[in-house]
Amino acid sequence: MPASGVVRWTAGMIGLAVLGALALRALGPEYVLAQAAFVFTHAIAGLGVVLVVGQCGQIPLGQGALLGLGAYAETLLALRGVPAPVSLPLAIALGAAGGWLASLPARRLGGLYFAMSTLAFALIVEEALVRWESLTGGAAGLAVPALALGSWSANTAAAQAGLSLVALALAGFGCRRWVASRLGRAWRAVREDESAAAASGIDISRAKMLAFVLGGGLAALGGALYAHWIGFVSPEQFGLALSFELLMLVFIGGARRLAGALWGALVVIAIPQAISLASEVLPPDLAAAAGLETMLFGAVVVAVIVLRPEGLAGRRSRSS
Amino acid sequence: MSGLALVQVLSSGIATGCVYGLVALSFVLIYKATGAVSFMQGELLMAGAFAVLALHVAAGWPLAWAVAGGIAGTAAFGAVLERTVLRRALGQAHLTALLLTFGLGMMLRGAVGSVPAATHSMHRLALPFAGESWRFGGLAIAAEHILMIVATAVLALALTLFFRRTRAGVALRACSENPAAAALMGVSVAGMHTLAWALGAGLAAAAGLLLAPVTFVHPNMGLVALKAFPAAVLGGMTSLPGALAGGVFIGVVEALAGFALPEGVKDVVPYVLLMLALLLFPHGLAGGLRRR
Repeated sequence: MPASGVVRWTAGMIGLAVLGALALRALGPEYVLAQAAFVFTHAIAGLGVVLVVGQCGQIPLGQGALLGLGAYAETLLALRGVPAPVSLPLAIALGAAGGWLASLPARRLGGLYFAMSTLAFALIVEEALVRWESLTGGAAGLAVPALALGSWSANTAAAQAGLSLVALALAGFGCRRWVASRLGRAWRAVREDESAAAASGIDISRAKMLAFVLGGGLAALGGALYAHWIGFVSPEQFGLALSFELLMLVFIGGARRLAGALWGALVVIAIPQAISLASEVLPPDLAAAAGLETMLFGAVVVAVIVLRPEGLAGRRSRSS
Repeated sequence: MSGLALVQVLSSGIATGCVYGLVALSFVLIYKATGAVSFMQGELLMAGAFAVLALHVAAGWPLAWAVAGGIAGTAAFGAVLERTVLRRALGQAHLTALLLTFGLGMMLRGAVGSVPAATHSMHRLALPFAGESWRFGGLAIAAEHILMIVATAVLALALTLFFRRTRAGVALRACSENPAAAALMGVSVAGMHTLAWALGAGLAAAAGLLLAPVTFVHPNMGLVALKAFPAAVLGGMTSLPGALAGGVFIGVVEALAGFALPEGVKDVVPYVLLMLALLLFPHGLAGGLRRR
């Protein structure tokens, strides 16, 4: 297994390097770096979904709302002049608190019912963001200032991509530790068989709650950085579409593996870019069609689930 | 609040609730029979409405033929999807079926959205006596609301007869209760799955048709299906009458909230109800009452 793992890893890296070089040539470094920053923020939030879905086996249908909580907290704090080293942890804390709140029904419900409760949670949060106009600016949204550390601010695409990569590396490192810990083993036990896990003395409510708290914190971190990079937040960005995009992201990448978050984020960010590139080649009628992107996205999800259920990063034979 | 106004709010709530209930019914039907969580019922609803619209307006069929053709076509489409793609999600985790159907729904929404004629203008399906209202003294009830309620009642009756009196209906019920035992009794379980998807898609199309005179026909009209999940959960997720009742309940509460409470509350009420129902009655209202 290690030998083939090395081969796969090398092949993946070479493929990525070739793709990166092609993208650089076609689109220019500034643009590619800006997109890379979005890939990394999505991957951070995706790591949180991997913890909840791939490790703990729960279905979070409202992760987009937790991302939104982080983005709004960071925006509101930055607008009031709070420096990033203070505001980012606060945003993460709010996301984690949101995750805790969303996980409360798990004490009484399992499986699909719990999934439905996270859906309801997300829709209520989205509506609250729209209606609490005095704080959030309502449906019109808010402009987000650049991320500032002292006198330096992350204005260039290179700085944004770099910061995101550092955050992703830290998040990935933390996730590796959690997955390998006693908590990670408890998550996998809950995923495989809740009754057996409970019979083995695992506190399953606590395991689910911690998965959601950590997943919520990671979603909020991704959301906070995303808000800075995109420069504008509105409730509709963090609606149900985003929650499902994150689920599809980890499913495309491979929900059982942490690396799946990065691969999935790459695909999710690349699809709209690929379409805008392809639209120069396609006949104008077809390229202008509004539904093309949605259709292709759906097709990718369906193809991955039907042809490669373990995801891009997943192993074909054995699941870990 | 005057009595007349209350009756009008109630009638519009019941009518909208009937649409929620029909979509919830289709969701529960598929979930019970195949174990698949379908997140594409809204898109099937939208596709059904567009199919009728295309047959009626573009192809020039008479309305009755277009309605029958559109619903039958959507049902056939559901059956084909089950045979080709959805069958692969069988027996896997809920999330697989959920994402697979969501992906198929996106493809469907994207495909309809790619047709310029479908997106560039708003369409309103002209059903007979739409826009009229029936007056009883000072009371005026929109004709389409009455049509929605009557059509839902007829569909519910037809489904009841189907599940009680026909061989296929009894076989489908047996399949939902215990697939292994049903297979031993000579029921084709795979065939029943196809039938469940066909029925589910046809019901969604019928719901879309009833919704068409109230909202416009557009690619995102499937969003109404989001209200069907609270309805299905309130009904206990596995009860067909419960799903319909849950839908009507949600519709009425939503209409009353829109009438009496500040703006915006109306849109969250279904989800607050869903949360409350899940926390207080984890087995659905019907299940909670049955256990008492």
